[in-house]
Amino acid sequence: MLTRRGFLKAGGLSLFGIGLMGGIPAFIAEAAASEKQSQLYKGKKVLVCIFQRGAMDGLMAVTPFTDEYLKKARPDLFMSAAKSGGNGSLIDLDGRFGLHPGMKSFERAFLDKQLAIVHGIGSPNTTRSHFDAQDYMESGTPFSKSTSSGWLNRAAGLLGHDAATPFTAVSLTSAMPRSFYGDNPALAISSLQDFAIQMRGNPAGANLAAKSFEDLYDQTASGLLQQTGRESFEAVKMLQKTNVKNYKPANGVVYPTSALGNSLKQIAQLIKMNVGLEIAFAESNGWDTHFNQGTANGVFARNVTDLSDSIMAFWHDIGALQDDVVVMSMTEFGRTVHQNGTGGTDHGRASCNFILGNDVAGGKVHGKVDALAVENLEDGRDLAVTTDFRSVFSEVADKHLLLKNDKVLFPDWKGSRIGVMNT
Amino acid sequence: MRIIFKPNDNQAVLNVILLADTAMKTMMRYANGIIAALLIMPLAAFFTAKDANSLRFPYVAAHLTKNEAAAHLLSRFTYGATPGEIEKVANEGLENWFAKQLEARLPDDSLSALLNNYDALKLSNAEVLKQYPKNGQVLRMAVKDGSLNKDSVKTDRKGYRDSLAAYMEKNGLKPERELFRQFINQKVLRATCTNNQLQEVMTSFWFNHFNVSITKGNCAQFVPAYERDVIRPNALGNFGDLLLATAKAPAMLYYLDNFSSVGEKAPRMTNQRPKRMSADTTAMMVRPPKKKNNRGLNENYAREVMELHTLGVDGGYTQKDVTEAARILTGWTIYPFGQYGGQAKNALTNLSEDQLQKRGFVHEGDFLFAANKHDDAAKVVLGKKFKAGGGYEEGVELLEMLAHHPSTAKFISRKLAVRFVSDNPPQTLVDKMAKTFLSTNGNIKQVLTTMVNAPEFWAKDAVREKTKSPFELAISAVRGLDATVTQPYQLYNWINKMGEKAYYYQAPTGFPDKGQFWINTGSLLSRMNFGLALTSGRIPGVKVNLKALNNNHEPESAKAALATYCKLILPERDPAATIKRLTPLLNDPQLVTKVNNASAKVAPKTTDAITGADSTIRRETKKQNQAVMQASNGNSAMLAQVAGIIIGSPEYQRR
Repeated sequence: MLTRRGFLKAGGLSLFGIGLMGGIPAFIAEAAASEKQSQLYKGKKVLVCIFQRGAMDGLMAVTPFTDEYLKKARPDLFMSAAKSGGNGSLIDLDGRFGLHPGMKSFERAFLDKQLAIVHGIGSPNTTRSHFDAQDYMESGTPFSKSTSSGWLNRAAGLLGHDAATPFTAVSLTSAMPRSFYGDNPALAISSLQDFAIQMRGNPAGANLAAKSFEDLYDQTASGLLQQTGRESFEAVKMLQKTNVKNYKPANGVVYPTSALGNSLKQIAQLIKMNVGLEIAFAESNGWDTHFNQGTANGVFARNVTDLSDSIMAFWHDIGALQDDVVVMSMTEFGRTVHQNGTGGTDHGRASCNFILGNDVAGGKVHGKVDALAVENLEDGRDLAVTTDFRSVFSEVADKHLLLKNDKVLFPDWKGSRIGVMNT
Repeated sequence: MRIIFKPNDNQAVLNVILLADTAMKTMMRYANGIIAALLIMPLAAFFTAKDANSLRFPYVAAHLTKNEAAAHLLSRFTYGATPGEIEKVANEGLENWFAKQLEARLPDDSLSALLNNYDALKLSNAEVLKQYPKNGQVLRMAVKDGSLNKDSVKTDRKGYRDSLAAYMEKNGLKPERELFRQFINQKVLRATCTNNQLQEVMTSFWFNHFNVSITKGNCAQFVPAYERDVIRPNALGNFGDLLLATAKAPAMLYYLDNFSSVGEKAPRMTNQRPKRMSADTTAMMVRPPKKKNNRGLNENYAREVMELHTLGVDGGYTQKDVTEAARILTGWTIYPFGQYGGQAKNALTNLSEDQLQKRGFVHEGDFLFAANKHDDAAKVVLGKKFKAGGGYEEGVELLEMLAHHPSTAKFISRKLAVRFVSDNPPQTLVDKMAKTFLSTNGNIKQVLTTMVNAPEFWAKDAVREKTKSPFELAISAVRGLDATVTQPYQLYNWINKMGEKAYYYQAPTGFPDKGQFWINTGSLLSRMNFGLALTSGRIPGVKVNLKALNNNHEPESAKAALATYCKLILPERDPAATIKRLTPLLNDPQLVTKVNNASAKVAPKTTDAITGADSTIRRETKKQNQAVMQASNGNSAMLAQVAGIIIGSPEYQRR
């Protein structure tokens, strides 16, 4: 079988020096190469993770609306699922849980059994610090701060092929997220358009500079710089076979103009370009709703609408490739059952998350949410964590990406799975 | 032993500066009432002429010329050599230069003048909280004050913003981000301009070692003072002092949660206490108001202080040691700044220093040892027994023990060697440094001296073996090109883009100090683009005069430019390979045209392999091409391009 490295050596990608080398013009070799290349990466399974930073109020996103305790604890925040409520009422999912009306776009996917929800999910570590909880969730080790790698980086190492492309693991963020820290190559870029040698208004200069850089990096004595340099230019070339700038989503999809919408749009581009993407990461911010959280309108509603609309736009955009892709959201913890004194909620424990995909056990609210009586709450105030996030993350990653070794993925975790993926 | 009394910046307390280590231990045991802020080591006095003489750099044995050795020295202990600096240091004598850097007392007038533009840099923590409150806090204050209708955000966003701005203006409040902007500008300018380069390099080293992060909300506002008051003054001092100072700093107390750690056996305030301790006081001191279930041990700091700050993860401690150390450090917290609310704050601040002292409290500036939160029972850490009733002093003793532990000596020595020698430093070197560390009780200057006196420092496999971090790359380029920086934050944005969001690193480990961490496909392209942007004047507020670098001589051809600027930008390195690789490109003015024509003929619709430009753009580029390529006479675009390529080249990424 043609390995990635062997392929590159053979494929004439070493230099783009069109017209410089004599003999067969390099661009012909390149054109041939790009064909093979696309074939090589076609049909890769892709896991897209979205981190909702700030701690999403799971009880408002997916409300156990029959719970009288909740109704009492949140006089200003509670919404009902009564049809009479009009646009402001919850979308009844199963007679017990209601989806926030802002997430109308999720309803279809839930009915089609593509969307699963896990409620009561969280970390066994009871910290209510954003910083620590994100750190623990992203490192995948809720009781160890010294873990230097992130769980998605470890997942990249378990994909079962040593020859990764520069795009195996891509985060659409300006800085490398904690989940991606580690020894396996991972890429953080805020915009695909920036991924080139840039000389504004002087493409010829950029061209020359790129050629010069490529030559220099190809010849350097430093192994690290040479290898990475080579990968960088490969990546640039792989991207530039497509017109990144004028990307038109399929099926007339319009993405929200938010940061998340923009990130997911670029992830869709990468998937369609067959550059070997297998693990993608994006962020959604603004979930720390201590103040005037709102109900059917307001900050929280805007956030969930952006989340669901962005995800569904992405889902429709990738169309025929849906079988290859799973999207999973995550947030560091949930929020207090009681509303606080400023129309919001404070840091709590469990929240919920969303998993979208054709191999997902969808159309169901998984997990366990007890009646929200004080005696059932963690520390008498918070929705109890009944499902360890590692149970869900490992199941989704293992099943979808066909990973084997979750001892490496989540060292110290010995729990069982809850069946969020179809077998 | 010498004791120097020096007034603190804001409080009229006395800092006791203790020099001799044993004296310090004795002193600390009886220092219960003395406000002992171990801040500044009088460096010159400690590092005498005799020590300077003990510097002897064995670079000749390593077959380095004096200039090559000077270049190596500067590459490790500065943020990059400035034009002509290598020759200057060679003339001055490498050892002499290094001795002055260890003293860190060179005048810095031009830097001070630059920094005077930033009014937040000198504020105390308390002043920062007053002037730069957190955004959420401003909102609450404005709503409470009646200046802001909290519901108007839905109906009238502009009005909401305007009334918020008016409220802040009226009350002299400034947005939090402005504080961080000034702080970061300061760092960029300081690294670029200070004459005391080693001190600044060491400040970065120790900040990263004792990392705190602006990403952690309650810690963020204290980060500027942390670097200014805790890290920088101790950067070339004594490791034990540095450790103790970090342990007591608000930034660290918040970052690793020790401020909230309460002993399970802490004596609660009872009515046996003097009457003046009101019920309010009791409630406040046992736990912050409104937060139940907060009472308890937090092991976070105790674990990290052993794992990351001193012994190292394999330093021979157990979970039991962590728990016991955490118990020792219960009650180490922050003197109320006011965010705990009026009553509680008053209850504590109304007590005189005497009264606090009588109750076993220790108040030093922002630090408070809250005796009522402290676990007073006996403990054992690493086999050492701490008797019951040890109070504040047992925490000091614990940190002393950790600071002088052989595992710490090895761990710190290794980390220094990784920073200054190579990603995988020879064990022989680490052992020498660790020996010095132990024999000098953690004297950082002496450890550095041992390192730089060792043949390993000058060995062939150490020279140019380190990869510049994005910060080092950006600053070295600015220094090497003698650029004028009027908007430092623009450089920071590039540094961030290249993968180092300094001061925002989330994990307590700090940024890993190895090339592999910095070099990835995205960041490498950013580095190349940074080089091009810098030299072609596309970074606002950062001005480079390339001609001035060459005494205003314009190179007569691209080839000459390449040779000249390779030498200027990469002094004391062999530029042959770089020149050889680039010369053919520069010698063929038709190159790009050829490329375009060739690809246009065969595949008119395909995009250009590198630029992604379509054929319309390609036609336009021809003209620009010629402009660029016929640049041999007086076209600074060509010069910019050559210099930019050198900055983005692999050779320049190394130091």
